[in-house]
Amino acid sequence: MSWGLFWLAAFVVAFFSFTLISLVIAVRGVAEIRELFAALEEERRRRQS
Amino acid sequence: MSTAGIVSSFSVLDGSIAVLSLVATLWIGLRVKRYIGTIEDYLVANRGMGLYVGAASLLSTEVGIITYMYQAQFGFVAGFSAFVVGLITLAVCLLVGRTGFVITRLREMEILTVPEYFQRRYGRGVRVLAGVLMAFGGSLNLGIFPIIEARFLAIVTGIPSQYLGWTMAALLVVALVYTAIGGMVSLIVTNYVQYLFLAAGTVIVTLACLRQVGWSGMVRAVEGHMGGHGFNPIEDLGVGFILWQVLLWIALMTVWQSVAMRTFSTKDAAVGKKMFTLTGFLFLGRALIPMVWGIAALAFFWGRSEPAVAPSAATPAAQMEQVDARLGETFRRDLDAGRLERALPQVDLLERLARAEKPRSAEAARFEDSARDRRGEIGLLAMPWMLAATLPTGLLGLVVAGMLAASISTYAGYFLGWSSIIAQDIVAPLLRRELSGRSRLRLTRVTVVALTVFIMIWSLVYDLPGPAYFYLQVTANLFMAPTLIAVVGGLYWRRASATGAVLSFVLGASTSLAYLVPSLKVDVATAGNLSWALAVAGFVAGSLLVPPAVTSTPPVGGAGRQEVRS
Repeated sequence: MSWGLFWLAAFVVAFFSFTLISLVIAVRGVAEIRELFAALEEERRRRQS
Repeated sequence: MSTAGIVSSFSVLDGSIAVLSLVATLWIGLRVKRYIGTIEDYLVANRGMGLYVGAASLLSTEVGIITYMYQAQFGFVAGFSAFVVGLITLAVCLLVGRTGFVITRLREMEILTVPEYFQRRYGRGVRVLAGVLMAFGGSLNLGIFPIIEARFLAIVTGIPSQYLGWTMAALLVVALVYTAIGGMVSLIVTNYVQYLFLAAGTVIVTLACLRQVGWSGMVRAVEGHMGGHGFNPIEDLGVGFILWQVLLWIALMTVWQSVAMRTFSTKDAAVGKKMFTLTGFLFLGRALIPMVWGIAALAFFWGRSEPAVAPSAATPAAQMEQVDARLGETFRRDLDAGRLERALPQVDLLERLARAEKPRSAEAARFEDSARDRRGEIGLLAMPWMLAATLPTGLLGLVVAGMLAASISTYAGYFLGWSSIIAQDIVAPLLRRELSGRSRLRLTRVTVVALTVFIMIWSLVYDLPGPAYFYLQVTANLFMAPTLIAVVGGLYWRRASATGAVLSFVLGASTSLAYLVPSLKVDVATAGNLSWALAVAGFVAGSLLVPPAVTSTPPVGGAGRQEVRS
């Protein structure tokens, strides 16, 4: 395989994996942020009590 | 040939989109203040970060406008050969993610900063020395961000240059306010929102580049300009540069403070490992995608240009003098107006004449350097000029919102990273008394403010000695080589001693410093590799000559709390 084709393949992998993983992060990240807040809120209440 | 400059179509609508995105970020960042109670909440979000938010946070911290600019510049000057750096990044991320090399042990120790490990393993002196070098190198690294990013914003938005300083100051203040108040919790939440903006902006710009010049147009431009060098990284960049990049990226992924803080913030070591595997592909995109923008910009401006004709002087030396003089008159004005199609062929001509004349004339080397520097300057600004010329209203606002998000998240992440080092690893240990959690929190907030002031000043006074990519890598290399060596040695080598660590830091840092002094003319790959070689040599020699007074098994997990000093 020539360098040109190799770099084209590398770019295709880079662009599509970036787009796909970004979509997954957008969807799954919301639940994780809720979880983080819940944990921090619990910690805050524990400290206050 | 077109002689009119480029005028951005940035409108009130675009400005409104960008400002709204900033206001939303600031509002979200300030909302989390109530969760900050301890220094652990502030610096590592009480170690509660999940995988996907962690990946978003890590990437948005490590991607700013400057990242897009220096990667695009690298693509513009090196063509597809530059892609090799992206592949190295992917390989390193996968290696770290699969094996947990260094990160698993550091995460299990529940430390807040990397130098904290040095105190446990080597003693207070090494912690402070490492902290000073990290804060110094990290601040220098951050110090050129505002001026380069301001140029991007000026070109893309058309903001007059007299308002640029204020624009950058406003951006820094936004990042400063929510970082100082909400710490890592603010960062994680805002990074998530910012990541969505930056990912959208990245995809839009890439599609615009592909639509504008197409892949085949980019290939033709690289072939026409660079020939085989633009495709073969070994021919173009050399084995030495590639080897240095492998070492540097291993260090960046394991002990670079802003990356390490994300590792320390994960729920556990397993999440940390998964985060690196996932972000490996994002880091591949972080490199290759903006490099493609740079190559697209080369193709775009080359397609608009006409070949420059050599002046009819009697000798090649006189021809070079004339082309250089012509560039001296027009280059800066062309660069500032986006007339790169006029500047680029002139620079090309000067470089060709100088290369042909080099075997016969020592003077030709000076013209070749001058042409290379100018090509680097064009490369830095070509991508934003192309965006200003091609993106329509509306889309431009979305892209600027994405870029601002990328930039502010980077400032915020780096502010927190470097200020935590200054507060935790320099000031607190030097006070020689235990500070309360509240005092540490206050100290860290004060250093965030001080750091902001420093980078504004540095950004205005320092002249880059070469491409931005090299400057950023060398300032990182100032402490990365000895840090990684001292961490790995401390974790895996029983005889590692404080003397070895100190020698490693002093020798490793000195070579990188030499590159930063332009008059010394040290080549970037030489500075990088020599820094690693000397850091290893110093570490091994120091440890063998002055072994640790108490020899223990290398600390693992909680056992890392024991101190071993020489």
